[in-house]
Amino acid sequence: MRIEVDWTRCDGHGLCGLLLPENLANDTDGFPVVRDPEVAPGNVHHARRAVSACPALALRLSRP
Amino acid sequence: MSTTPLTRSAPTAFGSARLLAGVTHGTRADLSTHRRLHGPQRHRTLEELAADAARVQLLGRGGAAFPVATKLAAVPPGRRTQVVVNGSESEPASRKDRTLMTLTPHLVLDGALAVARALRTSHVTIAVHDQAAASSLHAALQERALAEPSPELVRVERRPARFVAGEIRAVLRGLDGGPAVPPSRRTLPSEAGLHGAPTFASNVETFAQIALLVSLGPAEYAAVGSPEEPGTTLLTLLGDTRAQGVVEVPTDLPLDALVPGTSGPVLLGGYHGRWVEDVVGLSVTRPALRAGGLALNAGVVARLPREACALAEVTAVTRWLAAQSAGQCGPCLFGTAALARDVDDLLHGRTAPEVDARLAGLVRRGACAHPDGTVAFVTSALDVLTDELATHRRHGTCGRPYAGVLPLGERSVR
Ligand code: SF4
Ligand code: SF4
Repeated sequence: MRIEVDWTRCDGHGLCGLLLPENLANDTDGFPVVRDPEVAPGNVHHARRAVSACPALALRLSRP
Repeated sequence: MSTTPLTRSAPTAFGSARLLAGVTHGTRADLSTHRRLHGPQRHRTLEELAADAARVQLLGRGGAAFPVATKLAAVPPGRRTQVVVNGSESEPASRKDRTLMTLTPHLVLDGALAVARALRTSHVTIAVHDQAAASSLHAALQERALAEPSPELVRVERRPARFVAGEIRAVLRGLDGGPAVPPSRRTLPSEAGLHGAPTFASNVETFAQIALLVSLGPAEYAAVGSPEEPGTTLLTLLGDTRAQGVVEVPTDLPLDALVPGTSGPVLLGGYHGRWVEDVVGLSVTRPALRAGGLALNAGVVARLPREACALAEVTAVTRWLAAQSAGQCGPCLFGTAALARDVDDLLHGRTAPEVDARLAGLVRRGACAHPDGTVAFVTSALDVLTDELATHRRHGTCGRPYAGVLPLGERSVR
């Protein structure tokens, strides 16, 4: 699975980096930095949690 | 709305004038002149057109240089299918598309109608910002309505001038009544473009090239230019160059024929392009440039004169690029603004310790190519202008004035 950010929606709340640190970090403004878009199978549930926690509905988990 | 005209001078052809045949004196080709120069409107089936485009390796002449044959094959033909000619030419340094629409509108229309007929649709939309270009197209459609009526329905739609509004997905969204900003989803116009219908969209020069290809046939079309990308291409030249304004050149022309000597640095590919120290060994062939990490984009080539402050030009364009961010995506909005402040600091001899991190923070962090294009422009400028940067660092200035060689067009109004 791949994690993608919809940059037009993201408000930089800075949550996602905490919930999915393997793939995302947040910069000093709170906007995500995609370290690695490929989510490892063992992390998919973390990714799902990050997607549903994003207050701006800006994260997407998609099949490659 | 008003635009700042660069030069009202006539375009120039190096070698054979093809797109610019008959119009290099700056006079518009009306329908009868156009027919005398290019012959009657001709049509091809979709298969023939795609095969001819593949044979001459025709690439889109907007930014992405996508193969026309591939794009034709990706659009399902039929009555719902849309043909969109992107004439927004939203880069203020580029004049080639408005020159084509203004001086040789019938060539653009021949190309658009050939594509529409091949795709078995009657829907053609031309998106245009420039007033003179729009008037010339309207007049051309009136000439045709009387002299050679055709079943296609051609609409000319005025579009805003903002840089990002000229991106094809932003154009399609704007034509559909939405905001003229790129959509978040990576939609493909060939699948869901204008009105959600399959859409063949390309820039003005691409359609004019298609018209030439149809009227000349692939063999004659490919008789000039480089084997990798036969034919001619249009460029807009600025600053210390052999000619000024719009030029048509064969694609195998060495670039140093157009920007001879070794005065200031050269900008290739406009405001999303890259700076190079010199152009020795380069030609205007898109595939060859791409192999060298360069791009022609919409064909803007500028050389700064020695007596101009290069860093001031770069600063002005960077500030303009920051103002062009559609403001939808946080990293682009904040990142380009911060980058413009950094470059301004360097211009005034101050340090900008965060500039590299700022550049890295813009890469692939937006819904469109604007942040990455801005990064290419600034990174290459900082690479090429090391001497200038050192001088500014030492003295706070280089003593040369800001010459405004790189035009900034109208102020952005959202
Ligand atoms: S949680 Fe959502 S809104 Fe917040 S930074 Fe991450 S993607 Fe952006
Ligand atoms: S990346 Fe920048 S210019 Fe492109 S849509 Fe986002 S905010 Fe607008």
